[in-house]
Amino acid sequence: MDAGILQRFVVPLNPPRQRHVSRPSRIRVSLNSQGDYGGPKPTRELLAEWVSKNDDFVRSLPIYVGGASLAAVLLNRAVSGIAPVADASSSQSRADLLALGMAVTNILNGLVWLSIRPKTISVVDPNGVDCRRIYHGLPEFVTSELLWAWESISNVTCCRSLIVVYDGICILQIGFADVLQPNGDEPMGVDADKLIQGSLYKGVMRSGSQSYLANLSLYPGKTELPFLPSNTQAAILQPLGEKGMAIVGGDTIRGFTTSDQAWITLIAEKLDATLAKAVNKTQVTVEEKS
Amino acid sequence: MSSSSTSALSLNPLTSRAIHKRNYPSNLTICRPSSSPTKICCSQNQQQSNLSVLRFTLGIPGLDESYLPRYIGYGFGALLALNHFLGSDSSSITSAQLRMEALGLSLASFSAVVPFLGRFLKGASPTTQKSIHEEGVEQIFAMSKDIAPGLREDLAWGTYVLLRNTNSISVLISVEDALCVRGYWSVPKDMPKESIPDRFRKQTQRIGLSELKDGMYLQQSADSELKEMVPAGTRSLLVQPIREARQFSSSHTETRKGFILLASGIDYAFTEKDRAWIASIANKFSGIVLSSYS
Repeated sequence: MDAGILQRFVVPLNPPRQRHVSRPSRIRVSLNSQGDYGGPKPTRELLAEWVSKNDDFVRSLPIYVGGASLAAVLLNRAVSGIAPVADASSSQSRADLLALGMAVTNILNGLVWLSIRPKTISVVDPNGVDCRRIYHGLPEFVTSELLWAWESISNVTCCRSLIVVYDGICILQIGFADVLQPNGDEPMGVDADKLIQGSLYKGVMRSGSQSYLANLSLYPGKTELPFLPSNTQAAILQPLGEKGMAIVGGDTIRGFTTSDQAWITLIAEKLDATLAKAVNKTQVTVEEKS
Repeated sequence: MSSSSTSALSLNPLTSRAIHKRNYPSNLTICRPSSSPTKICCSQNQQQSNLSVLRFTLGIPGLDESYLPRYIGYGFGALLALNHFLGSDSSSITSAQLRMEALGLSLASFSAVVPFLGRFLKGASPTTQKSIHEEGVEQIFAMSKDIAPGLREDLAWGTYVLLRNTNSISVLISVEDALCVRGYWSVPKDMPKESIPDRFRKQTQRIGLSELKDGMYLQQSADSELKEMVPAGTRSLLVQPIREARQFSSSHTETRKGFILLASGIDYAFTEKDRAWIASIANKFSGIVLSSYS
């Protein structure tokens, strides 16, 4: 990209310990301190970071630039004593028209940027208590995988609660949960049988694909999820193969992006494989015992 | 036959229904690409914003309207120069016109830069993929031998997920002794399948990728020593170290267990969120106790 050349700095690169880079390097030394690393080093993308931080200002920048240029064109005409008539007969007028055209382009571009500004939706802290229930008796690799899934999803997305139900049992309830009694401290448990009988579970199992409830408060099936905090904003119901379901509760309306949904689907497939393997192992053990 | 209460797991007794086996291809397979140039299908459009507004479009296929200010900037700037030299005698150019031309040229350069700035705003979508069709670039999937089946499955799944859900076209995961490559890599044509992991291991050791403490993200195309491995059209690279924190050590040092290397055909391919997900995949491998795979 041509504009990318703005980013490149020609700075003599300190030769790393192992390899001497003799060609004229266009890469600036990075901030990481690598001991033995001799490969390419990244630049600090200052412009990209600055734009991301000053998003609002940059969005309206073209409008200001275009507007200022418009005013400058008219001012120039007034100051130099030429009548402000837009005809293309003289080269002065032609230059004016070209500048006007570009100013208008910038103004329109700025307006387009402003119109597609994503709406920032505020985070709603879930009211409930912290909860961490894992089904006992699961093999170590299953538990570690479940906990890894929880950590990943909660760190990257707006998820604040995660419930995994498999084979008729609630295997995992972690994150925020509603309280059992008002003013109490005890988190409410998950009644797996009731959940499985409910229409939410059956609908998700029938379709076999993820169901994204972007604004949970509008959804009448919310009553089937009493264990989630009452002000959970969004939920994803993800089937785990044919035998289970994962419920991911988030704290922002429409808080899960399409990429989040895709990642959750793939993680759920992995969990399903792991749980199926664990159950399979148990069946073999049980058959061996009997 | 036995009741569920005797089993340690205490799950409901299983029916005789066959358990659906996940079919992650974990054998060594190498696919030869077709002779026609392959267009790499990237992941789904990662829009963070809910665009419910009509956008201006000229309807010309292949023309990206967000680059329109740049084209207009170039075009009008050229016209301005033309006007300056051909539109009037050079002696009769007034200072007013010179001022106007200076303003016009600065506006033109600003317009040319505007689409570049627009890429970094929230809600911007990534540019189209560059198609890779070079000799010696093949889509491969290879793994070291002698890995525990559980780790093999994890590596297969991890590489699959990274290729599918990010803008990358090639992925390499190296965890302690195990190495797995998947995607488009440039390997010599007649290399036997078994020696591919070793070749990559030697190359990465030479560059010293496992010594990186923090992740590294090369966002634009750069001349790099990794040219031998990655296909020629690669523009961004990401290296994510896999760390294992030793809780029992007094100094709380972190050992480096390996790394994940991702290459992509577009600039600025990995957003913040992508990198967070990639870090969580790295965490999956960092928590692995290899002896638990049995």
